[in-house]
Amino acid sequence: MSASETATETVSESEKKIHGVTAEFTSVDTLLAACRRVRDAGYTKTDAFAPFAVHGIDKALGIKPTVLPWIALIGGVTGVTVALCMQIWMNAIDYPYIISGKPFISLPAFIPVAFELTILLASFGAFFGMWALNGLPRFSNPMFTNPRFDRVTDDTFFLFVDSKDERFDQAGVERLFADCGGEHIDTVVEDDSPTKVPSFLIVAWLVSVALSIIPLLIVAKMRVTNSSSPRFHIFFDMDFSPARDAQQTTSIFADNRAARPDIPGTVARGQVQDLSFTTGIEKLSSNAPKPSEHLVAFMQESDDSKTTGGAAQKSVMDTTVWLDKNPRKVDASLLERGQQQFGIYCSVCHGMNGGGNGLVNQRAQKLSQSTWIQPSSLHQETLYSDKYPDGKLFSTITNGIRKMPGYAGQIKAKDRWAIVAYVRALQQSQNASIDLVPQAKRASLEKEKAGVEKRLKEEAEEAQKKAGESKKDSPKPA
Amino acid sequence: MSLAIPNGLDNTVEKPGQRAPLVLGDTTYHDITETVCQVAERPPSKSWVAGFLVAFALLQMLGLTIAYLLYTGVGVWGNRSPIFWGWPIVNFVFWVGIGHAGTLISAILFLFRQEWRTSINRAAEAMTIFAVACAGTFPGIHVGRAWLAFWLAPYPSLNLWMWPQFRSPLLWDVFAVSTYGTVSLLFWYMGMVPDLATFRDRSTNKWRRMAYGLLSLGWSGSSRHWMRYEKAYALLAAFAAPLVLSVHTIVSFDFAVSQVPGWHTTIFPPYFVAGAIFSGFAMVLTLMVPARSMLGLEKLITIRHMDNMCKIILATGSIVGLAYGTEFFIAWYGQVGEEQFAFTNRAFGPYWWAYWTMVTCNVISPQLFWFKKFRTTPWIIVVITIFVNIGMWFERFVIVCTSLSRDYLPSAWAYFSPTWVDWAMLIGSFGLFFTLFLLFCRLMPVINMSETKSTLAKQYHMAHLDDDHAAATEH
Ligand code: HEC
Repeated sequence: MSASETATETVSESEKKIHGVTAEFTSVDTLLAACRRVRDAGYTKTDAFAPFAVHGIDKALGIKPTVLPWIALIGGVTGVTVALCMQIWMNAIDYPYIISGKPFISLPAFIPVAFELTILLASFGAFFGMWALNGLPRFSNPMFTNPRFDRVTDDTFFLFVDSKDERFDQAGVERLFADCGGEHIDTVVEDDSPTKVPSFLIVAWLVSVALSIIPLLIVAKMRVTNSSSPRFHIFFDMDFSPARDAQQTTSIFADNRAARPDIPGTVARGQVQDLSFTTGIEKLSSNAPKPSEHLVAFMQESDDSKTTGGAAQKSVMDTTVWLDKNPRKVDASLLERGQQQFGIYCSVCHGMNGGGNGLVNQRAQKLSQSTWIQPSSLHQETLYSDKYPDGKLFSTITNGIRKMPGYAGQIKAKDRWAIVAYVRALQQSQNASIDLVPQAKRASLEKEKAGVEKRLKEEAEEAQKKAGESKKDSPKPA
Repeated sequence: MSLAIPNGLDNTVEKPGQRAPLVLGDTTYHDITETVCQVAERPPSKSWVAGFLVAFALLQMLGLTIAYLLYTGVGVWGNRSPIFWGWPIVNFVFWVGIGHAGTLISAILFLFRQEWRTSINRAAEAMTIFAVACAGTFPGIHVGRAWLAFWLAPYPSLNLWMWPQFRSPLLWDVFAVSTYGTVSLLFWYMGMVPDLATFRDRSTNKWRRMAYGLLSLGWSGSSRHWMRYEKAYALLAAFAAPLVLSVHTIVSFDFAVSQVPGWHTTIFPPYFVAGAIFSGFAMVLTLMVPARSMLGLEKLITIRHMDNMCKIILATGSIVGLAYGTEFFIAWYGQVGEEQFAFTNRAFGPYWWAYWTMVTCNVISPQLFWFKKFRTTPWIIVVITIFVNIGMWFERFVIVCTSLSRDYLPSAWAYFSPTWVDWAMLIGSFGLFFTLFLLFCRLMPVINMSETKSTLAKQYHMAHLDDDHAAATEH
C-alpha cells in the first residue's frame, strides 16, 4: 500500500536509524502462527502488539513468566507486619489503652486493620509493580512514529522484530513476515524527536514548588513561636461560648440581666436551714419583716441613701430584731474555723487583727485612691456585741454594708457564723484586761509585751532617722 | 471469521453443550471500538445535558448543606439523643452497600471465570467508586468537627499525644472503607488504561490526544505488557475479592460489636454482605438498563447479562429475607428480654411502616424474578430494582433508628424526625453520584473494550482458546 511506500521513502531520505520491522495481522490465529514461526526462526528480541490480551502468545513468542506475584507478596507481607507492629506499638506499648479489660496486645481486635493493610500493600505491589516492570509510563515509543500503529488499540495485531536482535537482517525478516501472511510490512525508525523537558516547564515547576512551601512555612512558624496577638481562628471550635457572664447583658430576658435572680422562695441545694440561721434575724414574728422583704427594704434603703443622703428615715437595720447569740456552739474548733475563714476573706481588707489596715487598704493608701473608704476597724465600741448583735454582724457579712460587698456567695452560712465568733474573740483580744489571763501565764505575757514595745520603739526611731537622711539627700526642688 | 448470530437473537436460552454468545450481531473488533467510542465522541445528547444539569444542581445542594452544617454544627440534623447516628450513618451504610457490586463483578466473577461480566464491569466499577465517594462523605461530616477528621489517621500528633484506638470497629471501618476505595480505584483505572489508549489513538483533537495520552501512560499493547497486565489484574482480583467481603463485614461490626439490642448479633456480617451485593446489583441494573438503550449498547450489554444479574438479585434478596427471619427466630430463641423487645418493636412499634416497607421491597419484590418474563423485560427490571434500592435504604434506617430510639432505658426513648438538611443531603448525595456517573459516561470508556474483544475472540474460536496444543493440532 502507499502508506508503507511513503514510510520507506522518508526513512531512506533522512537516513534515520532503524528500530525494527513490523507486520500487521488481522486475526489471532494468523498472529499466533506467525509468532511461532518467528520464534522458531531463532529471533528473541521480538514483540507482538494486540488490542487485547491474546492467550497463548507468551508461549508462541517465548516470553518468560513475570516476577510480579513476588512483588505483590512482598507488599502483602510488609502490610501485615507494619499493621501488627503499628497497632501493638501504638495501643499496647507507647500508649496502652485499657478497653473492656482486654489484654493490651489483643490480636483478634487487631486483625481487621492488619487484613486491610495486607490487601492494600499487596495491591500496591501488584499495581505499581506492573507499571514499573512494563517501563510505563513512557510516552515516547518508536512504535508510535508509525501512523498505522494507532489501530493496534482497535482491531489490528502487529508483530515486530527488533533491529538489535543478533540475527536481525531486514530483508530476511520482511520475507519471513510475508510468508506468514503479514500485511503492511514496514520498518520502524527510532524516534529522534527531542526528549528533553522544555526548560520553561522546569522553571514553572520549581517556582510552584517554592511557592507552595511558603504557606507551610508560615503555618510552621506560627505553631512554634509565641505571639502576643490573639490566636488565629480558622475554625472556632468551642473557643467562644455563647453563654453570658454574670455581669453581661442579654436580650433574652425583659430585665436584660444575664445573671438570673433566684425565684422568690427558692432554696439552694443543701441550704435548707432555719431561716434565722441564714439571715441572722431573730424571730420572724408577725410584725417583723420576712427575710425577703427585709432584703428588699435593705436594698431600697441603700439605693435611697445614694440619692437622698439617707439618714432621715429610720433604717431597717435598726428596727430589725437581730439574733443576739451565735446559734452555733462556740468552742475551740469553731474559733479555729472562724480564724481560718477570716484570714481568707476578711483580713485582706480589715487586716489580720481586724484593725482595718489589710493589704488592700495599704495598697489603696499607696495609690492615694481618692474614692477609697477605709475598711472599718472592728474594734470600735459601736461594733461590740452589746450594740451590734451577732445577728447583725452576720447580716453584714452576708449582705455587705455600704462600701463593703456581701460574702453570702463565697462563704457558707455556718462558716459566716464561725467568723462572727472569731470577730468577737478578736474584739475581746484588743480590749482584754490582764485579769482574764491565768495567773501563771501573766509574767511571760508581760515580758513579751515589753519586748514588743521595745522593738516597736526601735523601729520607729530607725524609720525617723531614715526619713531624715533621705530628706537631706534628696535634691531640693528649684 | 464472522459469526452468524442474527441481531436481536435471544441469548438467554441455554443450549446444552454450547455457550450462549455474549456479544450479539455480526460484530467485529472494530465494531466494538466504534460502539463504545461513539458514546464519548459524539456531541452530548439533550437527555444527557438535562440529566447532568439536574444532577449538578443537586450536587450544589449537597455542597451548600455541608457548608451550612460545618458553619452551624451538627444540630442542623435530626440527630438527637439517643439517636445520634441518624440519617448520616444510614446514608453511609446505604452507599457503601451500593459500592459493592462493582468490585464484586470485577473480582469475584472474574475469579469464577464468568465471562459475561466483561461488558458490565467497567460501569459497575465506576459506580462502586462513586458510591464509595458518596459513602465517605457522611462519616466525614458526621464526626462533628469535620476539619479534625484527620485525627482518625495514626500519625504522631503533637496536639493529642495519643494514638487511635485500634480495638474500635469505627476505626476498622476507616481502614476498610479507605482501603476499599483505593483498591477499587486502582482496579478501575488499571482496567481502563488499554481502553484509554484506544481513545488516545482515535482522538483527532490535539488536547484530547494529550489528555488521553497522559492517562493511558504510553500503553502500546505489547504482549509483554499484556502478560504482566493480566497477571496484575488477576492478582488484584484475588486481593479485591476478600476485600469486598471484608468491607461490609467491618461496617456490620460497627453495629454488631456494640451492645445495643437489635445490633448485637453474630448474623450481621453475612447478612450485611448479602444485602450489599443485593443493593449493588440493583443499582447497577437501575442505571444500566436505561443507559444501555440510551447509549446504544444493546449488542454488548445483552438481555442475558440482565437476566444473570436478576438471578443474583433473587439469590441475595432471598438470603436477606432469610436473615430477617433468622433475627426474629434468634431473638425468640435467645430469650433475652431486650432483644425480644427490640424486634417486636421493629415490626410493630412506632417504626412499623419502615419495617414493612423494607420487607415488601427487599423480600417480596425480588421474588418476581423467579419468572423469566420479569428477568428479561427491561422496564420491569428497572421498577423492581428501584424498589430494591428503596428497600435497602429502609433496611439501614430500620437498623439504625429503631434500635437506637428504644434501648435499655425507657426514660431516654425518642422518635427520630429528620430535618430538611437530612433530606437535602440524602437527595444531594444522589446528585454527587449521578454527576460523577454522567461525566464518566461522556469521558471514559463505559465498556471494557479490550476484554469484550477477547470474549469475542473466544466466541470466534470456541474450540481452541488458551493453549498451544489446541492451536497446534489445527495446523
Ligand atoms: C473588700 C474589702 C473588705 C473585705 C474583704 C471585708 N470588708 Fe468589712 N468593711 C469594708 C469596708 C470598706 C467597710 C466600711 C464600709 C463603709 O463604711 O462604707 C467595712 C465595714 C465592716 C464592718 C462595719 C459595719 C458597720 O455596720 O459599720 C464590719 C463589721 C465588717 N466590715 C466585717 C467584715 C467581715 C467579718 C469581713 C470578712 C467576712 C469583712 N468585713 C470583709 C471592707 C471589707
